[in-house]
Amino acid sequence: MIRNIAGLMITAAAAAVLFAMAPGLDVPGELHGPAGYYVENGVEETGSVNLVTAIVVAYRGMDTLGEVVVLFSASTAVVLILTLIPMGSGPSRPSPVVELTARVLPGTITLFGIYVVTHGHLSPGGGFPGGAVVASSFLLVLLGTTGMPGSSRLLTAVESLAGISFGLMGFWGAMLLGQFLNSTVIPEGTPGRLVSAGLIPLISLAIGAKVASELSGVFASYRKKGGEA
Amino acid sequence: MNYTAVFYWSLAVTAMGLVLTGIWGVLTRRNVLRIALAFTLADTGVNLLLVWTGFLPGRGAPIMDGAVSSVVDPLPQALVLTSIVIGVAVAALFVVVGVLASKKSGSADVRRMKELKW
Repeated sequence: MIRNIAGLMITAAAAAVLFAMAPGLDVPGELHGPAGYYVENGVEETGSVNLVTAIVVAYRGMDTLGEVVVLFSASTAVVLILTLIPMGSGPSRPSPVVELTARVLPGTITLFGIYVVTHGHLSPGGGFPGGAVVASSFLLVLLGTTGMPGSSRLLTAVESLAGISFGLMGFWGAMLLGQFLNSTVIPEGTPGRLVSAGLIPLISLAIGAKVASELSGVFASYRKKGGEA
Repeated sequence: MNYTAVFYWSLAVTAMGLVLTGIWGVLTRRNVLRIALAFTLADTGVNLLLVWTGFLPGRGAPIMDGAVSSVVDPLPQALVLTSIVIGVAVAALFVVVGVLASKKSGSADVRRMKELKW
């Protein structure tokens, strides 16, 4: 009872703080600061039509590298902690609906994920969402069977290769142009074409492969624990 | 207040509501999985609030293919893309640590997890 009242009171205090900020803000009409710069010069400087991808991969590529490291350490920690947890019986047989769906859909889902990764500089998408889509098709395959599809060594190999190539592409820019992760070391091409925007599609591909293999590895480790004990 | 302003502010109120629901859930729930769920709710609310700060009513998505003449701020969207991925990683870690703690104490109730108390 005390706990509920205290919780409500703290929530009300947080609400007061949040809503107190509101009247000072007005419905804005113009872009200012770095946003204006990105909108003005983003396409000429990076060749990427999608400005969000241009920022994530080119302008703030360093942050994305750090983010990939955070994702890697979190997935490593998840797998490590899972080895400490005693598990019950293995997975039960999936229902026929799930089994059939897991046979029919994963190819289409993977294809869509690859499309999202490779068109990240042209349309909404990029390495992170596309990689998550590919990993979701792996999860569907995993749910449709009681065994262990694929090999975890292949996952590890893809993950390491993607991480290493991301770092190497960063040093490529540092060597040639004196700027880590500069995406214009190869010609930018015509903005709006599939082969354009310099290194951005390649870096997206590396991010996509890394995210897909990392999330698949986490899903696979859940299954491995459940099946062994 | 015209339609645009109502739409604009209702987005902010939704985001703040999600954050507050998350805070309330973390403070009052006892099941560790529900606490994790409330935490992700607050996370989603913060992300929505950040995207909202870059939102300009009547403008299009920041994709400069000639379809729209004026676009919204792309910077918060790029930052939130990062934030979403980190949020997923933190949530996965949260749930796994919660499962480990509940296996050790024999219950998912945070009141029974003596290791958390000092």
